[in-house]
Amino acid sequence: MKKYKADIIVTLKNGVRDPQGAAVDMVLKRTGMEDSAGVHTGKFFSLSITGEDEASVKAKLNTICEEVLSNPVLETYKIERFSEV
Amino acid sequence: MKSGIKAGIIVFPGTNCDIDTQRACEFFGWETEFIWHDDKNLDKYDVIFVPGGFSYGDYIRAGRLAKFSPAVMALKEYVKAKRGFVVGICNGFQVLCETKLLPGILSNNTNTKFICEEVELSVNHENFPESVKFAIAHAEGRYIADEQALEKIKAKNMIFLQYKNNPNGSVFNIAGLYDKENKVIGMMPHPERGIFLETGNCDGRYFFEMLKTEVENGKYIRA
Repeated sequence: MKKYKADIIVTLKNGVRDPQGAAVDMVLKRTGMEDSAGVHTGKFFSLSITGEDEASVKAKLNTICEEVLSNPVLETYKIERFSEV
Repeated sequence: MKSGIKAGIIVFPGTNCDIDTQRACEFFGWETEFIWHDDKNLDKYDVIFVPGGFSYGDYIRAGRLAKFSPAVMALKEYVKAKRGFVVGICNGFQVLCETKLLPGILSNNTNTKFICEEVELSVNHENFPESVKFAIAHAEGRYIADEQALEKIKAKNMIFLQYKNNPNGSVFNIAGLYDKENKVIGMMPHPERGIFLETGNCDGRYFFEMLKTEVENGKYIRA
């Protein structure tokens, strides 16, 4: 069995309303820190995952991302880091 | 009955305990006004409440965005000038901690649940019964602070309310702080929900009576 570590970032798809991002954007503008920062918010996940080989682990990771960590209707995910430990 | 005390209640988008706080103040004959988060003129108030709720949707963290509002910026000056008392309740306590008007921070309850119940508290104040029952309603009420902050809290005798059966994992069972030097009070329990007989608990009156005495004793400087 091999063990891998992965970092995943989940964000809202373009066009999906992001009230948290909009609120932060407004604060940055009102405090004069940045006029139009275009803030987008998302979620960060870090996890370890085991499997026979890299291909099967990646397949399992994609299922986790699509079924558990995100909803493809609203969100997209990006695997930021994937390495054997 | 007019008492001569003028209270201001800051209202953010997402605040929901503003009217309860107003009704509690008016029960004691205090003149009250709501302060919209865009307002900066706080000098006319003897007491300023930062009430409970979910300011700015609690986005990023509870209290984080509220600290940048014009009203809270002005609140810092109000405290610096020792104009009057500042009372943060629940989300208000979170705002005061994020703003660093009080040390430490409120994090998620250790049981990860939103806790809504009446709790017994021991009180550290001479004009108060030793024990009271107040309502709590929060998911992020676990008070934590680094060692330096805890030293300061002890040195300045700032622990005001402590849970008897710590429901959320707060360090030293802290439910509320009172910085007497700067006249800043912050607490997770809701004294404003314990004023009227209909709620089955009137212990909140002790808090407002204590505050009234503090204000009337002239422990502040009139503008």
